[in-house]
Amino acid sequence: MKPSTILPLALAAALAFALLPLVTSSNYIVGVGISALIFTVAAAALNLVYGFTGLLSFAQLGFWGIGGYVTALTVVTFGGSFWWGLLWAALLNAVVALVIGYPTLRTNRHAFVVVTLTFALLVTLIARDWVDLTRGPLGIPDLPKPSAFGHHFGSTSQYYWLAWAFSVAMLAFLYALCSSRIGRTLVAIKQNEPLVRAQGISPMPYKLAAFAIAAAVTGAAGGVYTFHLGIIDPLFLDFYYMQTFLIIVIIGGAGSFWGVVAAGLVLSALPEALRFSADFRMIIYGVILVAAMFVMPSGVAGWLRERRIARLREQLR
Amino acid sequence: MSAILEVADLRKSYAGVHALDGVSFSVEAGSVTGLIGPNGSGKSTAIDCISGFQKRDGGRIVLAGADISGRPAHHIARAGLMRTFQTVRIYDRLSLRDNLAVAAQQFDPATWVDELLRTRRYREAVEQAEGRARELVELIGLERYYEIETGILSYGQKKLVALAAALMPRPKIVVLDEPVAGVNPSRIREIEVALAQLNRAGETFLIVEHNVEFITNLCHRVIVLDQGRKLAEGTAHEIHTDARVLEAYLGMTPEMAEAEMRGMA
Repeated sequence: MKPSTILPLALAAALAFALLPLVTSSNYIVGVGISALIFTVAAAALNLVYGFTGLLSFAQLGFWGIGGYVTALTVVTFGGSFWWGLLWAALLNAVVALVIGYPTLRTNRHAFVVVTLTFALLVTLIARDWVDLTRGPLGIPDLPKPSAFGHHFGSTSQYYWLAWAFSVAMLAFLYALCSSRIGRTLVAIKQNEPLVRAQGISPMPYKLAAFAIAAAVTGAAGGVYTFHLGIIDPLFLDFYYMQTFLIIVIIGGAGSFWGVVAAGLVLSALPEALRFSADFRMIIYGVILVAAMFVMPSGVAGWLRERRIARLREQLR
Repeated sequence: MSAILEVADLRKSYAGVHALDGVSFSVEAGSVTGLIGPNGSGKSTAIDCISGFQKRDGGRIVLAGADISGRPAHHIARAGLMRTFQTVRIYDRLSLRDNLAVAAQQFDPATWVDELLRTRRYREAVEQAEGRARELVELIGLERYYEIETGILSYGQKKLVALAAALMPRPKIVVLDEPVAGVNPSRIREIEVALAQLNRAGETFLIVEHNVEFITNLCHRVIVLDQGRKLAEGTAHEIHTDARVLEAYLGMTPEMAEAEMRGMA
């Protein structure tokens, strides 16, 4: 779809989402709404590295966890504000991403997957075993809800608006990035890296930037989500989160900005709907994923795109 | 005429096998130069080393007076050497317009800040690239596909897109790796005409190709490689009558070659 059709649509959807706490008084539904917004941001960040640049990064889980812990520790241990916490979370993640990315992005894409996966597991170990800093398995409870300009985001509805503003800002930023020449170059790198080099473009700075920006955004998203939960412990690094982000990207259509955003908002409600059976949640989730992949191997956006291409072929015949 | 590309004593070996054993040649500015040879003669290795896609073991490569030996591929491209690939490389998921825009983007002065602020510099760069793209798309005859993802094009059309992309930034020299291999014979003639037209407009080409007729029609000079060495160099006619070339490359006697030539004409 053309930007001229999709942007008003996106704006309308964003405003409709802002109204959610006015429509329902259920803290549970508003809470699901917060999850949907934050997961969508994290998925959009994963889409930047995986969908656009072609780098399957499991490190997003580590960045998510670091973001949560850094924000919590900034407030609880170092006495800073929530906002500074988010900023530190984003900055620290960007630096960590540059440090991991610089050597790893020189290797092949498979090695990159393995290193990022290892990194995510390493962060989990730190969260559990560096008890002096993270308080280990007990976690850091009773995180205070933040305030800004004398306004306290104490209730779930108020916090929803904070999460909403954060998500809209992050998605707008990622959209601007993905639809710019930089985004186009990332797509080019994913499709044909040798050609990119033959055209005078060095892929490395682009890949690094995409990885670092996605890390920063994921970290901040982790921070906002942590303060929604009000507690952070090693469960915040459960692989379930990574799986959710990845499923959103794959079902939405890797490389399609709006496909992933739409899938994020819809699918985030799904694990909540599946909570009735905590034991089988993952199995049901897996079955849904596999079924969707059978029907639409390149996601909803990819499926729509293939239909469009098929029509084009017919017309050009 | 002066040499735009000079290759001196280029060497490369894989596990002890000399793929290139001291190859030297030059390409005159404004010429079409052919690089031919049997399979495994070192043609592809030579252009991979020249364009920075493979590390050379030794030798000097000078592009328009600047030493580009051993520099990474993207530096060599920025210095003005654009290349295509044997197995066609384009961005299937991007439109023809975007394929050409990406090819030019490293060569304009607009940065991401310019784009963010939509500065005059950015608008001018986009406008210029657009103008050049339209010109090239007309030349390759793919106007109706301009806004369409290039994945749906035929193999021959994709080769034309790759050619147009290589020409986008008005490079000092274009290196074509088998531009007509696998292309429908009726299209080969079109590519030939397009290249001749571009050459008359001042573009310099170095072409690796197996199609002897194509090379004969287009090239001012032909360089023949065999087993990593330069076997012969001259006009297409001289090459065709060179007994060493005929034996190594064509496996023919001069008489058979004469018959072949008459057959072509």
